[in-house]
Amino acid sequence: MSQAETPILQFEQVSKTYGNVPVLSEINLTALESDLTVVYGPPASGKSVLVRILTGLEHADSGRILLRGQDITRVAPAERNIGYVPQSFALYPHYTVRKNISYPLDLAGVPSSESRDVVANAAAMLKIEEHLEKSPDQLSGGQKQRVAIARGIAKRTDFFVLDDPLAGLDFKLREQLVDDLRGLKAATGASILYVTSDVIEAMTLADRLAVLSGGQIIETNHPEQLYRSPQHAHTMALVGFPPANFLRGTLEHRGDHLWCTTPLFAFPADIAASGANRDVYVGLRPERIHLSHRIGDVGDDEGPLHIAARVILREDLGGEDIVYLQADGIPLTMVDHDHHRGDDLNADVTLSIFPHHLTIFSADGGGLLGRGARGEGAAAIRAEAGAHHG
Amino acid sequence: MAEIRVEHLTKTFGSLRALDDVTFTFPNGQVTCLLGPSGCGKTTLMRIIAGLEQQTEGEVFFGERNVSRLSPSKRDIGMVFQYPVVYRGINVYRNIELPLQSMKLSKQERKQRVDSAIELMGLGANADQDVSKLDNGTRQKVSVAREVARQPEIILFDEPITNVDANSKLQLKRSLKELTRSLSQTIVYVTHDQTEAMTLADQIALMQDGRIVQCAPPRDLYNQPDDRFGGWFLGNPGMVFFNARLSQESGAGFLRSELFPGPIAVKGEGLVDANVTIGIRPENIHVSTQPVPGSVPVELHRKSIQIGGQYLLALGVSGTDTLLKAKVAPSVGERLPSSGPVHVELPLDRVAVFNEGGNRIAAALYAVPVPETAT
Repeated sequence: MSQAETPILQFEQVSKTYGNVPVLSEINLTALESDLTVVYGPPASGKSVLVRILTGLEHADSGRILLRGQDITRVAPAERNIGYVPQSFALYPHYTVRKNISYPLDLAGVPSSESRDVVANAAAMLKIEEHLEKSPDQLSGGQKQRVAIARGIAKRTDFFVLDDPLAGLDFKLREQLVDDLRGLKAATGASILYVTSDVIEAMTLADRLAVLSGGQIIETNHPEQLYRSPQHAHTMALVGFPPANFLRGTLEHRGDHLWCTTPLFAFPADIAASGANRDVYVGLRPERIHLSHRIGDVGDDEGPLHIAARVILREDLGGEDIVYLQADGIPLTMVDHDHHRGDDLNADVTLSIFPHHLTIFSADGGGLLGRGARGEGAAAIRAEAGAHHG
Repeated sequence: MAEIRVEHLTKTFGSLRALDDVTFTFPNGQVTCLLGPSGCGKTTLMRIIAGLEQQTEGEVFFGERNVSRLSPSKRDIGMVFQYPVVYRGINVYRNIELPLQSMKLSKQERKQRVDSAIELMGLGANADQDVSKLDNGTRQKVSVAREVARQPEIILFDEPITNVDANSKLQLKRSLKELTRSLSQTIVYVTHDQTEAMTLADQIALMQDGRIVQCAPPRDLYNQPDDRFGGWFLGNPGMVFFNARLSQESGAGFLRSELFPGPIAVKGEGLVDANVTIGIRPENIHVSTQPVPGSVPVELHRKSIQIGGQYLLALGVSGTDTLLKAKVAPSVGERLPSSGPVHVELPLDRVAVFNEGGNRIAAALYAVPVPETAT
């Protein structure tokens, strides 16, 4: 995280429409000096338009962009001094790797002795020194993308934009390049705006993370904050893998408590604002569900809310399993670390949940309302269950 | 039913050696996944088994039958490709039934086979639908069902999930899981996706540079890789590696590394003084804010959230420039500072030792002094 907290880039109320379709709506976004700021959003959320407006390939309809404190909204692309790494490789096939990297420097009239050092540095950082005299068609996909990144960072600037540079690469290559990109940031101290549609990549790289959805910035914060304390249902839905589970619910008063009733269970809610008879979304992270192969008597150690479910598929990721479930026709996803459960495809299981792991959002607008109650909530659920059985 | 045996298979494309003297048996009635990075030779191996590619050298046997020079149609195998192959303009039932019409089956037998393939692939609700109205995941299910209904002894799958849209992936994966656990045919399944392989396979044949480097049941391969490549390739992130020194002192073996507070006793056959690498899965490393027995102090540089809210930690180890990666549960990661000094402990039964060539050494590690039961 930046010590100085000085903004290098500011989008102020930037909007863009294509015909009548708004593609970016009143975007406010700040990237701090020396930070790696990630803009993360699903496909068609407006990421590419945002990059094109930032690099000057398109103009915003309204709003302004400040880079290094200067208004660049109408400044020509070449004058913006941005190091840009596009999504596709776009290497010149008839030039060597060295010439591909040095090309922007040559165009800018940088003396060859100086450009040689810059290329050597960039190649060392991206571990492609031994490929400098090869032509691009002698390289693998991952190596080509390294060359493209090297060309972007060879530019003499303090600000870089990387537009989904790892999209379409092998999973293992991405893992390596993510490490390299963090190392690159540490080595150069530069400010980086990084755009991606991969949430794990976003959370791994970001100092600060902006969530873009439907042409709007939903929330910007440190990735851990966004994950642990999302202020909006969209943030909880988008930030995290596997995606969070959501249930529809209604708030109602029961005695002294406000309760939330979902199709699968009811629980006491801890909500500051009064919100009875209100429709809500209830979010639940996959790792907050505990699975037992026992039916019925599973105890409350893993939570007092119990759900009968069936295993639809268990995927083994090595370090953990993702388990897809059906509970009363509702799909749920959980993450399980127990590798000794055996083949439980189609097995009937019991799921346990603590109410304080449930996050409640307004169904009208998606804003955060509160959580399930901690502590006394469990006693209330047991009392309710007892009353029903009685 | 038939096992598939390939002997000394080599395939070259110009100067490229796509397959390099592969001898291997795909056991009868089992699902074997060929897994590896792009360019490792897995698709070439499968295409040679199918007869779609002619090997440069070597032989292919189905049971006792040498099929090396038979055309694909004479090999009597089922094949499912990356993109669904369906006959447009006719419904799902007819799509599955069509190849059976040339097989001299009774009407009843034909119906029975189609019905059971439809049930197995969960296509009951789609049987009367025109295939052109289906999403490509369901079409892929139709392609699979058609091959299943033919009941060949061998079915080959070439990355059947890769090009299916995200929405129908889960249902297709589930159907393939149902299928692979109930079929008695010999199945070869090619994929670059380790999760798919770990989920569907009875055994995974891991490939690198035109060779099968290890074949084992998925969890065995994950926990006991034969070489550094297997440790690195499987896992998210893969195994982390660190330099260590193996030495013989007064007839006993010892291992030293910055990741251990002192020498670790090593038992094994034929151990010699050597520079080695130790490897451990990131999720097996214990991280705490306070020292514990066997721990060493390290510097937490950064933590980030990964799958299922786990934390990936980037740790600096004093005296080296190698970054150590650890993956910890949400409850552990939440309590750690965002950076600063922490302690790591490597459970010795989870540490693998690799020689300079990258191959795993059969060695058991013990905290010093060696417990009596181990001597």
